[in-house]
Amino acid sequence: MLIGKKTVRAAIAVAAASTLAGGLLTGCSAPASAGTITYLTHQDAWTHADPQRNYTGRDIAWFGSYMNRTLTAYDRAKGAAGSAVVPDMATDTGRASNGNKTWEFTLRDGVTFEDGKAVTCEDIKYGVSRTFATDVITDGPTYAIGMLDIPSAADGSSAYKGPYSTDASNDVASFDKAITCSADHKTITFNLKRPVGDFNYTTTYLSFGPVEKAKDTGDQYDMHPQSTGPYKIKSYVAKSQMVLVRNTAWKADSDPLRAKRAFPDKIVVKFGLTEEVRDQMILNDTNKDAVSLDALLPTNLTAVFDDKGNPVAKYASRAINVYDPYVRYAAFNVAKLNCLPIRQAIYYAKDFTSLITLSGGQALNGDPADGVIKPLMGLDYKKVTGYEDWSVNGNFDKAKALMAQAKTECPALYARATDPKQGITYDIADTDTNKKASAIWIASEAKAGIVMKFNFIEAGKYYAVVLDPTKQGDMSAAGWAPDWANASTVIPELFTKEGGFPLSQNWDDPAYAEFKKGVDAALVEPDRKKQGQDWAALNQYAMDQMWVAPGVFSKTQEIWGSGIGGAFFWDPQGSLSFGDLYTK
Amino acid sequence: MSGLLTYISRRLMITIIILLAVSFTVYVIFALLPYDPAALTCGKNCNDPGIIAANRIRLGYDKPFWVQYWIFLTGLFVGRDFGSGAAAIHCDAPAFGYSFQQHACVTDLLGQALPVTVYLAIGALILWLIVGIGLGIISARFRGKIWDTLSTAFVLVGTSLPTFLTGLILIVFLVIKLPGSPFPADGYTAPEEDFGQFLLSMVLPWVTLAFAYAAIYTRFVRSQILEISTEDYIRTAKAKGLSDRMILGKHTLRAALAPIVTMAGLDFAGLLGGAILTEAVFNLPGMGRLSLTAVVDIDLPVIVATTIVAASIVVIMNMILDIVYAFIDPRVRV
Repeated sequence: MLIGKKTVRAAIAVAAASTLAGGLLTGCSAPASAGTITYLTHQDAWTHADPQRNYTGRDIAWFGSYMNRTLTAYDRAKGAAGSAVVPDMATDTGRASNGNKTWEFTLRDGVTFEDGKAVTCEDIKYGVSRTFATDVITDGPTYAIGMLDIPSAADGSSAYKGPYSTDASNDVASFDKAITCSADHKTITFNLKRPVGDFNYTTTYLSFGPVEKAKDTGDQYDMHPQSTGPYKIKSYVAKSQMVLVRNTAWKADSDPLRAKRAFPDKIVVKFGLTEEVRDQMILNDTNKDAVSLDALLPTNLTAVFDDKGNPVAKYASRAINVYDPYVRYAAFNVAKLNCLPIRQAIYYAKDFTSLITLSGGQALNGDPADGVIKPLMGLDYKKVTGYEDWSVNGNFDKAKALMAQAKTECPALYARATDPKQGITYDIADTDTNKKASAIWIASEAKAGIVMKFNFIEAGKYYAVVLDPTKQGDMSAAGWAPDWANASTVIPELFTKEGGFPLSQNWDDPAYAEFKKGVDAALVEPDRKKQGQDWAALNQYAMDQMWVAPGVFSKTQEIWGSGIGGAFFWDPQGSLSFGDLYTK
Repeated sequence: MSGLLTYISRRLMITIIILLAVSFTVYVIFALLPYDPAALTCGKNCNDPGIIAANRIRLGYDKPFWVQYWIFLTGLFVGRDFGSGAAAIHCDAPAFGYSFQQHACVTDLLGQALPVTVYLAIGALILWLIVGIGLGIISARFRGKIWDTLSTAFVLVGTSLPTFLTGLILIVFLVIKLPGSPFPADGYTAPEEDFGQFLLSMVLPWVTLAFAYAAIYTRFVRSQILEISTEDYIRTAKAKGLSDRMILGKHTLRAALAPIVTMAGLDFAGLLGGAILTEAVFNLPGMGRLSLTAVVDIDLPVIVATTIVAASIVVIMNMILDIVYAFIDPRVRV
C-alpha cells in the first residue's frame, strides 16, 4: 500500500458488563444507536468512494465499516486479533483447493444493495471485472489482474480489458473462466494463475465487492456507489460534505460483523476545512461528536502529547500515538548505483538523529527501521543483522572505509559520487520539511566524502516521476505499508520486476536471480510460519544488498471529540475502527 | 427608441464577440500549457503510456486544436459525450467538459459552486453598501470630528487586514473560543437544507468579505460627497436656504450614487468569479474554491470553465451597466 495508510493502537470498545459498571461509576453511557458522528478533514473529497478504487487503509476502513461490503473482512478487534480474517458477505473465509489455485466463497442469504436487489455471484464478478478497466477505474488495487488465471496480451498487460471495452480483442472468455458462478448464483469460484495461500486476505479488499451492473456509471460511480452495508449516501458534494443515513434495505442478520455496531443514525463528513481550523475544533472540543480524519499539524502535536509521546492529561481519553504500518526509506536505484559499498556508505553516513528531530522527534515520528518489514508484522519480522555498527548519529569512519573500498571496486561510480559537479541525485517531494532535511543529508554525507544533490519534485507528481525508470534519480524517498498482514505484499512489491512499487530497479543486480527464486518459492509456500521465515530471510537479503536505505518505522496520531466512544486503533487498516465509534 | 434598440443590439454583438474571444484565448492558453490532458485522466495508472494513448483518443485530445475548440463550443449548445461504450459519460448543455479528478461534468460543478458564491456576494454587497455608504456619509458630514476620525480608523483597519486574517480572527474568537457559539465552524449549509443554519453559516463570511469592501466604500463615498459639496449647484442650494440634510439627500447623495452603483456592479461581478480567500477560510464550496483546487490539481477543464465563466460575468455585467446608463443618459447611445 503506497499512500495514506495510518495506524494506531488505542482505547477500546468495552464489553457490556464493564461498560455498565463504568457507566454507573463514571457517568459514561453504553453505546446507543443514535446521534450523529461528524468527521472533519482538510481533504476536499474522498480520494475514491468507488469500491474498486478504494486503496488506502483509512478509506477501506471507513467505507468498509459503513457502506461497502466484500467477501471477507478483518475482525473488528484491537491488537493482533484485529488482523484475523472473518467472513463478511461470504458464509466462511473461503475454501481453497487445487493447491491454493482455486478459491470458492458462498454468499450469505439476505445480502442486498441499497435498492433492495439481492447481491449475487454475478454482481461480485462484475465488480471484480471493473478492476481490469484500468483506463476508467483508476487508482485501485490490481491484485485481481495479477492473480486471476487470464493470459497476458503481447505488451504484458492483461488480455481482458474490463467490462467497458468495446475492443474485439477483449478476452472476455478468459475472464469468464477465471471467475465462475454456481447455478443458484450464490457461490463464486476464483481460478488463479498461481497458488495463493492467503487469497482470502486479498478478498478483504473492497475491490472484491459487488457492483450492480445496471447502476454502474463508470468514472461517475465514484460519487455515488450503491451501498451494501448499514448506511447509504444521502448526499455527497466535494468541498462541502457527505451525509450517510441508515440503509433501510440492509438486513442486520445478513451481517454479523456490523449488526450490533451500526450505532449513529447519521454520519457527516465535513470536507475542505482549513487545517488549523480543523485542529482547533478538535482540540477545543467544539463539536464533541467529531472525529478528525487527518493527522494533527506538527505545530499542534505538542499541545496533545508530551515528550515521551503520551497524551497529556487533558487529551488522555481522546488521543493516541501509535505505530502505523508504514516503513519509510530511501530506495537506491540499483541500475544506476550498482556499487554495494557506496550504497552502504550512504546509509552509514546518514544522520538519523537530526532528521527525526526535524520531523518532531522520535516519540511522535518513529524509530530507526532495520528493513522494510515492520515488527508489527509478527510472523514475517526478524531483526536484520550485519549493521550493528550503524549509528543514529552516523558512523562516518565506517562510511569512509566503505568509500575507500568503492574507490577500487567501482572507480567510475566513486568518481561520480565524490565529484562536486555530479554527485548522487536524491529524488524527494518538494516540501518545506524535505528542503530542511536535504541540508542535513548533504552535510552528513559530505563527512564521508559523498556529494549529495537533491531533485525536488512537486509533491502531487512525485511518484509518477520516480516510478518512471527513465526519470528516477540515484535515490528516491519512499514509504510502503503491507496491504495485509503478510510480507507477500511487501517484498515482491518492492524488490521484484513485477512488483507494484519497484523503485530499487534491482533486477540487473547479480544478486537478483537468487532473490527472485526465493520470492517465487515464498509466494507459493503453504505453511504460513515457514513463509514468514522466508520473508524475514528475504528482507535480510535485500538489506545485505542495501537495495534500500531503511528509514523509520513510523508513528501516527489520532484524536477525536469527548462525546465519541468506542475508539480503538484497527491495526490491519492502520486507522481508527470507524464502525465501532458511537456518540456517548 | 430605435436609437436605444440599435445601441442595445450593438452592445449585445460586441459582448458576444468578446465572449468568443475570451473563450478562445483561454482555450489557447491552456492548450499551450506543458500538460497533457490525457495524462491527467487516469490517476496513478497514468504511468502506463498505453492507457494515456487510449484515453487521448477516447476523449478526443488527439484531434487538432481547432477541432477540439469547435467541439468545445458546440458542446456548450448541444451537450457532449466523453468516451464510448458502457463507460461513456454524457454531459448536458452547456457542457464545459468533464473533470476526471472530481468525477463530474464541469457544468454540474459550476451549478453547485455558483449559488454559494452568489449568496456570499449578495449578502456581502448589501452589508458593505449599508456600512460603507453610511459611514462615508457620517464621515463627510462630520469632517474633522471624532466620527470622521473613527471612520478613518475603520478604513485603515479594513484596508490593512487581509481577508484571510479577518476570517481566521472571527473563527477563532466567535466560533472556537466562544462557548455556545451559534456559528458553525465546519462549513456551509445549503439554504434548502436548513435556512436558519444557512444564515448562521454565512454571517461570518459576509462580515469578513464586507469588512474589506466597506472600508474602501467608506473612503470613496466620503471623498465623493466632499468633492460634490464644492460644486456650484450645491452652493446655490445652500444660498437658497436649503437645510444641510435636504442638500445631502436631494443633491449630493444623488450625484454621488452613480459612480458608487458602477463600482458596486463591477465589484459584485468580480466576486461572482469567486472570493477565493473568504471561501477557503470559511470552507464555502463556491467558485473561488472550485478555481483554486482546480489550479492546484491541474484540473484543466475546470480551470477553463471557471475562467470563462468569471470573465463572462464581468463582460455581461459591463453590458448591463452600459445599457442601464443608456436608459438614464441618452448621450451614451450616440
